[in-house]
Amino acid sequence: MGTVTVLTESSAEVAGDVVDGRVAIDASALTDAIGWQLKPEGLCQADVCVPVPDQAALMLGDRIDVAAAAAAVGRSSLVDAEHAAIAVSQPATARDTVVNGMQAPNLVLPDLDGNEVAMAEFRGRKKLLVVFASW
Amino acid sequence: MAVALEQEREPLEPFIEGITIPILLDANHLVTELYAVSNIPTVIWIDEDDRIVRPNTAAPGTDTFIDFTGVSCEPHMDAIRRWVRDGEVELAADEVQGAAGELDNDEINARLYYRLALHARRQGDQAAAEALFKTAGELAPHDFTIRRSAMPLTGRDPFGENFFGLWEEWKAGGRKYHGLNIDFKN
Repeated sequence: MGTVTVLTESSAEVAGDVVDGRVAIDASALTDAIGWQLKPEGLCQADVCVPVPDQAALMLGDRIDVAAAAAAVGRSSLVDAEHAAIAVSQPATARDTVVNGMQAPNLVLPDLDGNEVAMAEFRGRKKLLVVFASW
Repeated sequence: MAVALEQEREPLEPFIEGITIPILLDANHLVTELYAVSNIPTVIWIDEDDRIVRPNTAAPGTDTFIDFTGVSCEPHMDAIRRWVRDGEVELAADEVQGAAGELDNDEINARLYYRLALHARRQGDQAAAEALFKTAGELAPHDFTIRRSAMPLTGRDPFGENFFGLWEEWKAGGRKYHGLNIDFKN
């Protein structure tokens, strides 16, 4: 088996292949790929499970179709077969919580020295989030 | 805190000297998806309970570009000071709720193409990266975080003619911005 790159809020290299333009990975690799695990109850993350009535629809043979699994938890995706990569969006609910729910998510990003900083570190203080760039 | 839509630290060096607030690198443009950010600078006010009390605002922090934009930094800076000092937001709840505007499917797909472009570029396939950046830009033509940010990643200057051309297109397209509007002079 080869390696595929799953691009989410981070980037994960997992064992898998592109089959007919779809990214297929071992079920055990799904957590590394998109942070959810396929169980009999459905797709689960920590103690939250999303029921998946037709689990067969997520499968490519005995492997999981990453795009199908992502869609089942509200995440869009796009495959680049040539570079064995799939880009996966955030869940639609996460965007809605910010834009409509007016709730800031716990963004975790590296500072310029590579140290991870979590927005949650600043709870209890007012915050000004300034999005900028060199361009 | 400052969140930079950059692939690496180096292009920021001229701008960050003496800055003491946290500067975070958002190479994957996560904030543009979660907060529906379509241009920079975008400033967001978040309170002690992590509530967004003032969403996406295209407010400058200095008067560097006042000759072009006609926008002074002072009104927004004064409003920030009043908020910090007195907790006053001076915007009604219904002006604020949902004001950033949801990304539509094309804008979400544009971000997916953009991520794949960054990946192809990291793999050394510049031709594929350019094609993917181009598709991203076609899906989100008013989005500077897609179109302008890709310029230095494809060997083009994001200032000068390339910027003015994009600005004219943006004006002709109705000056779309995901957030609270600012009146620009140009």
